[in-house]
Amino acid sequence: MTETVVAPRPTPAPAPARASDRSIAENRLGLKLVAPAVVLMVLVTAYPMLQALYLSLFKYRLTVPDDKSFTGLGNYATVLGDSLFWKDMLNTVIIMIITVAIELVIGFAFAMVMHRIVFARGVMRTAILIPYGIITVVSAFAWQFAFSLNNGFVNGWFKWLPWISSDTNWFGDHWHAMFAIMASEIWKTTPFMSLLLLAGLSQISEDMIEAAKVDGATWTQRLVKVILPNMRAAIMVAVLFRALDAFRIFDNIFIMTRGAENTESSSFLTYRQVIEQFQLGMGSALSVLLFLSVLLIAYILVKLFRVDLAQARQEA
Amino acid sequence: MAHPPPGARRIRRICGAAVGLLLGPALLAGCGGSSGKPTLTWYINPDPAPTSGSKGGFGQAGIAQRCSTSSYTIKVQELPGDATQQRIQLARRLAAQDTGIDLMSLDPVFTGEFANAGFLAPLPADLSSELKSSTLAGAVDGATWDGKLVVAPLWANTQLLWYRKSFAQKAGLDMSKPVTWDQVIKAAAANGGTVGVQAKKYEGYVVWINALIEGAGGSIIQDASTGSDAKVTIDSGAGDKAAAVVQELAHSKAAEGDLSVSNEGTVLGPFATSKGAFQVNWTFIYANYKKDKATFGDLGWTRYPETVAGTPSKPPLGGINIGINKHSSHLADATAAAKCITSTQNQVTYAIDTGNMPASKAAYQSPELAKAYPPDLLQAFSSSIDAAGPRPVTPYWSDISSAIQSTWHSPLSVGSGTPKKSEGFITDVLKGRKLL
Amino acid sequence: MKQRMSPAHWAGFVVILVWCLLPVVWILMVSLKPVGETTTGSPQFFPKDWTVQNYKDIWDNHDFLRALGNSFGIAVIATLLAVVFATLAAYAIARLEFRGKRVVLSIALAIAMFPVVSLVGPLFDMWRVLHLFNTWPGLIIPYMSFTLPLAIWTLSAFFREIPWEMEQAAQVDGATSWQAFRKVIVPLAAPGVFTAAILTFFFAWNEFVLAISLTSTTAARTVPAQMSFFVGSDQFNPPYSQLAAAAVIVTVPVVVIVLLFQRKIVAGLTAGAVKG
Repeated sequence: MTETVVAPRPTPAPAPARASDRSIAENRLGLKLVAPAVVLMVLVTAYPMLQALYLSLFKYRLTVPDDKSFTGLGNYATVLGDSLFWKDMLNTVIIMIITVAIELVIGFAFAMVMHRIVFARGVMRTAILIPYGIITVVSAFAWQFAFSLNNGFVNGWFKWLPWISSDTNWFGDHWHAMFAIMASEIWKTTPFMSLLLLAGLSQISEDMIEAAKVDGATWTQRLVKVILPNMRAAIMVAVLFRALDAFRIFDNIFIMTRGAENTESSSFLTYRQVIEQFQLGMGSALSVLLFLSVLLIAYILVKLFRVDLAQARQEA
Repeated sequence: MAHPPPGARRIRRICGAAVGLLLGPALLAGCGGSSGKPTLTWYINPDPAPTSGSKGGFGQAGIAQRCSTSSYTIKVQELPGDATQQRIQLARRLAAQDTGIDLMSLDPVFTGEFANAGFLAPLPADLSSELKSSTLAGAVDGATWDGKLVVAPLWANTQLLWYRKSFAQKAGLDMSKPVTWDQVIKAAAANGGTVGVQAKKYEGYVVWINALIEGAGGSIIQDASTGSDAKVTIDSGAGDKAAAVVQELAHSKAAEGDLSVSNEGTVLGPFATSKGAFQVNWTFIYANYKKDKATFGDLGWTRYPETVAGTPSKPPLGGINIGINKHSSHLADATAAAKCITSTQNQVTYAIDTGNMPASKAAYQSPELAKAYPPDLLQAFSSSIDAAGPRPVTPYWSDISSAIQSTWHSPLSVGSGTPKKSEGFITDVLKGRKLL
Repeated sequence: MKQRMSPAHWAGFVVILVWCLLPVVWILMVSLKPVGETTTGSPQFFPKDWTVQNYKDIWDNHDFLRALGNSFGIAVIATLLAVVFATLAAYAIARLEFRGKRVVLSIALAIAMFPVVSLVGPLFDMWRVLHLFNTWPGLIIPYMSFTLPLAIWTLSAFFREIPWEMEQAAQVDGATSWQAFRKVIVPLAAPGVFTAAILTFFFAWNEFVLAISLTSTTAARTVPAQMSFFVGSDQFNPPYSQLAAAAVIVTVPVVVIVLLFQRKIVAGLTAGAVKG
C-alpha cells in the first residue's frame, strides 16, 4: 500500500525547488512509520491511565462495591499528608540515586574494559548479558538466599569485615535490608548500563582519540574532554532509563523483604493499595502521583543533558 | 530523503500476519465448544508434594476425582502458593463475575470479605445446618459471616506447642499441665534452648498476636459485621498482655537468631538441633519429623500455651473452606459437589494424604486416622480446633492484618505502647484516613 | 580493534567475569543441594551432598515445562514485533521531519514511565471483554507496549549517530535509496537493532506482575509466575533447591540466545566500521 509519492532523493545541494511538497510527503511518511508503534502503546496504556485518573476521584474498594463515593481530591490530600507515602518516597529516591550512581561508575568501567578486549569478546559479552537475562524474581531469590542467616554464604565469606559477623541478620533492620536489596539491584542491572555505554563508546571514532593523544592529552584529559562529551547521548539514555526503572523498583523488594523494616518503595506501596487491598480509589491516586513523580524526574534529567534526540538533520 | 524501504511493504505484510497470529488464538478460544457433561472448575490452594510420588488421586485432586459423578466432572486448577496471591486472583475474577470459577478453596480469613462482597452462593439450609452440627466449633466460627454459614469447612488447622521431651524434663517443666508463654520462655532461656514462633512480617505473625490476645480474653475488633465501623479493641488489658509476651520473647535468650524473619519453615531446623526446645506450629509437624528418628522419638506435644495463667488458651485456626461462586454456570452441581467434597470420608482421606486435619468431629473417630496418628495427638488436635479463637471474620481483615504487621513488626520494637499505637492506626486505616 | 591489553584490562576482565557469574554459580550450587539440606539450613557455598534430583523433579513437572514454552513463545513474538515497529518508528524519528514528532517521543517516554502495577486492574477488565485473558496475545501486547519506548529511544539514538553523509555518499556512488539503506544503514544500525531486541526479549522473559495477574492457567502462564506455584514438602517454604534448578533451566535458553545474538552485534560493529 506504499504510495510512490516519495520523490527520489535529491542531491544534497541546496535549492529546495518543491520544498513544501517534499516536507508534506515526509510528514505523511513519518506519521505512517510511527503509527503502528504509537497505536499499540496508546491502546494498552491510554485506558488504564484515564481510568486511574477517573477512579482517583472516588473512594472505592473493589470488594465493597456499594460504598463507592465521590471524594474529589480527597484521596490526594490523604496521600500527600501521609507520612508513610513520604517515607516510601524517600526510600525510593535513595535507592534510585545510590544504585544509578554506582551502576554508572561500574558500568562505565566495564564498558571501557570490554571496548578494549579483543580475544574473549564472545565470552565477555555473554557473561555481561547473563545477569540481565536472569529472571528478576529468580535473582532476587538467589540474593535473598545468599544473605539469609541459615542458608547464605555472605556471612560466611565476609565475617572478617568489622561490621559483619556470622550472626548478622541482613533482613533484621532497615539499612542492612536496604543494602541487600540495592546489592541485588546493582548486580542485576549494571550489565545493562555497561551495554548501553559500550554502544555509545564504540561509536566514538578512534581518530578523535588518536588526535587527542597526538596533542599530548593525558588519559584523564582524553576521558573527560573527548570520550565523555561524545557519549552524551548514550549516557543520557542509560541514566534516564535506569533512573526511571530504579524509581519503580518492585520485584526485588517484593521477593526479598515484602517491604518489611520500612524498605518499601513507592511502587510497592501502590501495589499494596491497588492489588492487595483493592483500594482502587486511593491506589489510583497513588498511581497518578507516582506517574507524575517519574515524569518530574525524567524532565529534570532531560533538561540536564540538553540533547535533543529528535534532531533529524545534523547541522555540521 | 530516503525512500522508505520497499521492505516496508514486506514489513506491512509481516505486520498483518503478526496481527493474525496475535488475534487468531483469541478468536479460536471463543469457539471452544463443550459437549457432554459439564466440568466444574475447582480452584485449589496447592497441596504439599506427595511423598510417595503418587500422581493423581492425591489430596484435593484426589477428592475431585472421587466426587466426580456421572452428571459432572470436577477439575482442579491450582492457585499460587501464597494466600495473599490466592485472594487477589480469586477476588478480582469474582468481582468481574467470571463464570470460569465454580468452586474454590478459601483460607478462613477470606470468608468475611468474599461473603460481604457477594461473591459466594449461599449454602442450602439443610447442608448448612448439617455442617454446623457435625463440624468442630472453631472451624464453624471461621466459616460464619453475619450469623450464617457461608462456606463449607474442608479441613481445619490449629497450632500446638511442640516440645523436646528431653528438654522439658531437663528444664523441670511439667508439660502435663497447661503452661503459659512466660513459663515456656523462661524455661527455654534458663536451659539454653529456643522457642520457635512465626514473627516475620506476614500473616503468620498476626496469627500469633491474635492467639495471644484471644487467649487473654480480648479480641482485635468487635462488631465485625459493621464492616469499617467495627470497634477496634486491640488496646486493652488483653492487648497489653499480648505485647508483653512478644516483648519478653524478643529480648530473651530463647529467641531464635532470625526471629524477625521466622516462619513455619525456618523453625523446623533449629528444633531438630541440640538447642531445640519448643515451637508453636501447625499440625503438619508430626508428619514432618517422622523421617528424623532422633527428633521424632523426642517429640512431645500439648495445647497452645496460655497467655494468662489459669485462662485456657485459644489456639489459632487455619484450614480451608470450600466456597461456591455465585456466578457459576452450574450452581446446583457445584453445591452438590461441595457437599461431597467436605464429606467425612473425604476429610479423612485428605488427612491421611497430606497431614491436614479434618474439620468434622466424626472424622476423628475413624480407624484410618487412628492408625496414622497416636490417640492423644488426635485428641489434642480436635480439642484445639474446637476451642480455637479464629482471627476475626471481617471484610477488612487484610487491612487490619497489614496494619498490625506494620505496627507490631519487628518483634524487637514491641513494647507497652504498641497496642495503643496499633489501635489508633487500625482505626485510621479502616476509616480511610491513613495509608496502609 | 587492536590495542594492547594492560594488566589493568586483564584485571578488569576477571572482575567482570566474577561479577557476572558469581551469583549464577551460586544458583547452580543451590540447585545441586538436596531439598533436605536447604530446608534445615546450609550456609556454605558448595553443597554438602551433590545431587541432580532437583532437575529430575523439575523435568517431571509438566506445568513448569508448559510455562517454559509459554515464556519462550511470548518473548520471541513480542520481540520480533516490537523490533519491527520500533525500527520503523525510530527511523522516522531520527531521519524525518513530521508534525507530532515531539508528541510521539513524549508519548513513548510517558508510557515508559507509567507504573506497571496500575495497569493490572484495567487491563484485566479490558482483556476479559476482548477474551484475551489468559492468552498469549494478552501478554504479548502489554509487553510490546512497555518495551517499544526504550527500543525506539535506543534505535533513534543509533540512527542519529549514523552520519547523514553515509547515505548520501553511497547514493553519490550510484546506489539507490534502498541499496543505500540496506548496505550502509542496516549494518551500522544492526547493533542497535540487536540491542533493542535483547532488551525486549529480556523484559518479556522477566516480567512478573502482569504475568501473574493476566493468566489463570498454564495455557499462558510464564515461568516467573509459575515459580510462585512451586510447593515443597511443607506448605510454608518454597523448595529453594528446586527453585534454583528451575532458575538454571530457564537461564540456559537465555545463555544460548545471548551467544547467538552477541556474534551478530560484533559482526555489525566491524562490518560498518566508520573509518573516514
